[in-house]
Amino acid sequence: MFFGLETEYGVFVENCTLVDLACAVKAIIESYPYKAFGSWDYSNESPRRDMRGFYVKDLAVDPREEALDRETISRSPDAFEPCNKVLANGGRLYHDHAHPEYSTPECRTLKDLVAHDKAGERIVLMCAKEFSRKAGVMVKVFKNNTDFHGSSYGTHENYLLLRSIPFEAVAEAFIPFLCTRIIFTGAGKVGSELACYKGRKKVRYQLSQRAEHFDSVVGADTQFHRPILNTRDEPHADEHKYRRLHIIAGDANMSQYATALKVGTTAVVVEMLENGWRAPKWLQLANPVKAFHEISMDEEMRWIVELDDGKRMSAIDIQRLYLEAAQKMFPKADGDLKWVLGEWEYVLDMLESNPLGLSDRLDWVAKLQLIEMFKETEGADCDKLKAIDLAYHNVDLNEGLYYALEAKGMTKRIVNDEEIEHAIFHPPTDTRALIRGWLVTHSSSLLKSISWCTANLLVDGKRLKIDMRSLVGADGLPIIEELLNGEFVLERLLKVLPTG
Amino acid sequence: MPEQVRRQLPSEPIPQRKEGDDGPRSPDVQPPDTRELLERMRRIDPREARRYRQRSGE
Repeated sequence: MFFGLETEYGVFVENCTLVDLACAVKAIIESYPYKAFGSWDYSNESPRRDMRGFYVKDLAVDPREEALDRETISRSPDAFEPCNKVLANGGRLYHDHAHPEYSTPECRTLKDLVAHDKAGERIVLMCAKEFSRKAGVMVKVFKNNTDFHGSSYGTHENYLLLRSIPFEAVAEAFIPFLCTRIIFTGAGKVGSELACYKGRKKVRYQLSQRAEHFDSVVGADTQFHRPILNTRDEPHADEHKYRRLHIIAGDANMSQYATALKVGTTAVVVEMLENGWRAPKWLQLANPVKAFHEISMDEEMRWIVELDDGKRMSAIDIQRLYLEAAQKMFPKADGDLKWVLGEWEYVLDMLESNPLGLSDRLDWVAKLQLIEMFKETEGADCDKLKAIDLAYHNVDLNEGLYYALEAKGMTKRIVNDEEIEHAIFHPPTDTRALIRGWLVTHSSSLLKSISWCTANLLVDGKRLKIDMRSLVGADGLPIIEELLNGEFVLERLLKVLPTG
Repeated sequence: MPEQVRRQLPSEPIPQRKEGDDGPRSPDVQPPDTRELLERMRRIDPREARRYRQRSGE
């Protein structure tokens, strides 16, 4: 398993308009109070490169957003100039279209991933507090995916995947899986934002913050149009050997358990594909976009979808099919794999028999119970319920409703506070993030730019490029272990690692 | 909200009305967890979500 998460945070800045938000967010990121490196090497990025083997001509852009961008730039010409903080933990904090975005370092274990995801919340919050102190304005940070007015922002997952697996097999495995996994990965949302649902159907509460913002099945777009299976092809690794599966059809989870189960089950499907498993042809959904929306909005919790052959099947049964294939393929699972298979089965059983019994594990259940509790005594004012929904995602430990539940021991944790604090400054010790974090901490004066797979240095007047593309998957481990078995100094890094 | 959700929420039995009684009253005591959480939710400004506006992201 080799994975990472990217989260675009929502930020409320007192007295700040949408036009000025980008500048405020940039200032928030620049307020990061600890050592970080500011120059990102963009030469490895090509968002128009498509997994299907071509370059898309353009990525669709929302015309309303384009107009706002023009207005922002007319006021602040450098508002969208790159703003990066490569962190000591090997992760990256940066400005993405008026959102602070935090990318975890690459991880191999679910515990590391959850710790670094949670560290991201604290990093963005510490920047916001520092900015708030300097600017004298109130700032709130939300780890969610919606503003309740039609704007959505992403939480993306990344998984290393062998390129030898045909794209069709990837699509056939992941489209039904991604549409149905929201029964345990959804973060829950009060109401619906889309005009097409507003008048037609009363949606009081739905499983997913993101599902209704998806309008296509496959594609490279991420903003104006959102496909269930994103085909962006930026491997950040040996491109002949690997793809990076870039999943955009997921919610930001507050629950540590939901994050681990979301990434764990998805990584298991990757492992199954790499071990030769293929999704049955009959499993394909008749209309994936419709199914994605309908599962999210089914308040009766039946979650039935139509398959290509006209038969109907529940999301739970579709997920069971993946689970059973994994149990058959990995009968002697241990470590994370064993945890995932056990918890996946437990959660599917509970979703069938007593979904509300999962309030300590799943965000949509925890939030629903809070909302029902409030409605029982205080009524159902729509604005108030949306405000409660938003407050659930406030990452401030003293303000957020999720953290009120956590403080009472009502949430199942994967990592403790010490492990989260440690992850703010320390990379995982078994991925190339170790090298990135070390360079930021110990050799930033020599660094010219850095990325997921490269580090460009100027040493004694000579330009050197450390190439970290081979340090992924199983291939990377022996090199990292070799580095850890000796003195961790630059001279040795340059000897052990491929350079050019 | 679906019946499945409603059914599982804790509910107090309705007391029998006696002669001269003013009718059922709300219980004075709630479980501490619920009370604190409710109080926290009451304090949330209902305008927060309405004034929360974001740019579309990816």
